[in-house]
Amino acid sequence: MNAVAAARSDNVTDSSTQSRTGLIDRLGLGWFFRLLSSSIGQKFVMGVTGLLLCGFLVAHLAGNMLLFVGEKSFNEYAHALHAQWELLAIAEAGLLLLFLAHIYLAFATTIGNLKARTNTYTLRQTKVPGRIIGANSWMFISGSVVLGFVILHLIDLRFALRSGIDYLVESDPGAPFHNTVAVLSNPLSRVIYFVGVIVLGVHLSHGFSSAFQSVGFNHPKYTPMIKILGKIFAVVIAVGFASIVVFVPGMWK
Amino acid sequence: MNHASSTNLNLTLKIWRQAGPQQVGGLKTYEVEGISTDMSFLEMLDVLNQQLIAKGEEPVAFDHDCREGICGTCGVVINGQAHGPDRGTTTCQLHMRRFQNGDTIVIEPWLAKAFPIVRDLVVDRSAFDRIIQSGGYVSVNTGNAPEANTTLVPHHVQQDAMRAAACIGCGACVASCKNASAMLFVSAKVSHLASIPQGQSERSRRVLNMVATMDAEHFGNCTNTGECEAACPAKIELTNIAKLNREYMTALMYSKE
Repeated sequence: MNAVAAARSDNVTDSSTQSRTGLIDRLGLGWFFRLLSSSIGQKFVMGVTGLLLCGFLVAHLAGNMLLFVGEKSFNEYAHALHAQWELLAIAEAGLLLLFLAHIYLAFATTIGNLKARTNTYTLRQTKVPGRIIGANSWMFISGSVVLGFVILHLIDLRFALRSGIDYLVESDPGAPFHNTVAVLSNPLSRVIYFVGVIVLGVHLSHGFSSAFQSVGFNHPKYTPMIKILGKIFAVVIAVGFASIVVFVPGMWK
Repeated sequence: MNHASSTNLNLTLKIWRQAGPQQVGGLKTYEVEGISTDMSFLEMLDVLNQQLIAKGEEPVAFDHDCREGICGTCGVVINGQAHGPDRGTTTCQLHMRRFQNGDTIVIEPWLAKAFPIVRDLVVDRSAFDRIIQSGGYVSVNTGNAPEANTTLVPHHVQQDAMRAAACIGCGACVASCKNASAMLFVSAKVSHLASIPQGQSERSRRVLNMVATMDAEHFGNCTNTGECEAACPAKIELTNIAKLNREYMTALMYSKE
């Protein structure tokens, strides 16, 4: 009847909608495949997983702040948390999935970016007023540092596997506090933990506000606020965790 | 040109010379003298080329057409900045009064895997054409013009669409992006056509196909540094990329495409 209708009927053989006969198609997961393989889908998932991980940071920091309240409060909190082992297992599985997705997409997008320009300019200058080479150019590197720190942190305090640390068994009423202070009393781990959380702050200073853009939220009404919130969030998280590293081992000796 | 306010500049130019797509290129140094500050950047290159021709050397190849900032044909990286130091300006509209006597100017072509170098400062931007061919259009009935008030578009909507439609497809966004991403270009066309009634029938298919072509042409991803927006001579805004992201996710999750 008209060009639009003709285009519609032609579209049956269009490569973009051609039916795949594999497992992905039989399960109706074509959209999911596209989500994880297209540039925009990848950044969307990157942003969503990043923001959910920010949620975890808030909960984790809030719990850890009890270290300043006292040994008893922190131990009670930790034991109450661990008593919910069924829920905790689900939460941990969810966190692992978020981390794996975020890390996989970091590699996928970075490799794509490196392939998009193989030769470099002799001279390069920003046109963004006041921009210095900031966090947004170092997301993969800062993310890698944070990943290294998270792995060390899991070995130290989730699995209690670090050699040379005098751990108490998890069932011991005083274990959470004792083990935390034991790990943080080691000068080398204090330095590594301090660097880890500061680099985490750098990562968040771009990641938090950038995630909103990636999921499609950018509007003159609220984007200035999100940008400021992103910086504040990064500072609160970095300073919050760093304060534990700096003050806690000395406070309760 | 002996305008009262104009002065003459002596400049050192370091220009990327490359004989062909497969050849190895490199920066070559040239001296130009007596360049009027009233000249445009491309006129300065014309002067250089005239010198080269007189000496029997091969002139520098560069793209240019309208020379009034509306066609999107010209574009080189000047001292590390796409289209040079001014905002909202194409290379042809950059004037030599922005430079000082004795300056050294480094001139390089757009660098991106998707924009292979043809010769010297000329790159092949047909990847942009293929992106547009995959969805950057509207299908309409031809024949008599429809009655003027059949399709009503509110003024503010028309203004939004027009701002996005201002893209001239020069490729400065790709050239200035650290990831050689074409998001700003694709987002301008997607936002433009998604804003107006004429674009609705192909809205979902358009964004899915254009993004698929963009990915297949090996453009990079968006890291939200804002360099593209700063380099864009048509002042296309970063909010268009957020709109592209929304359009893409909406099409992916809710359309039948």
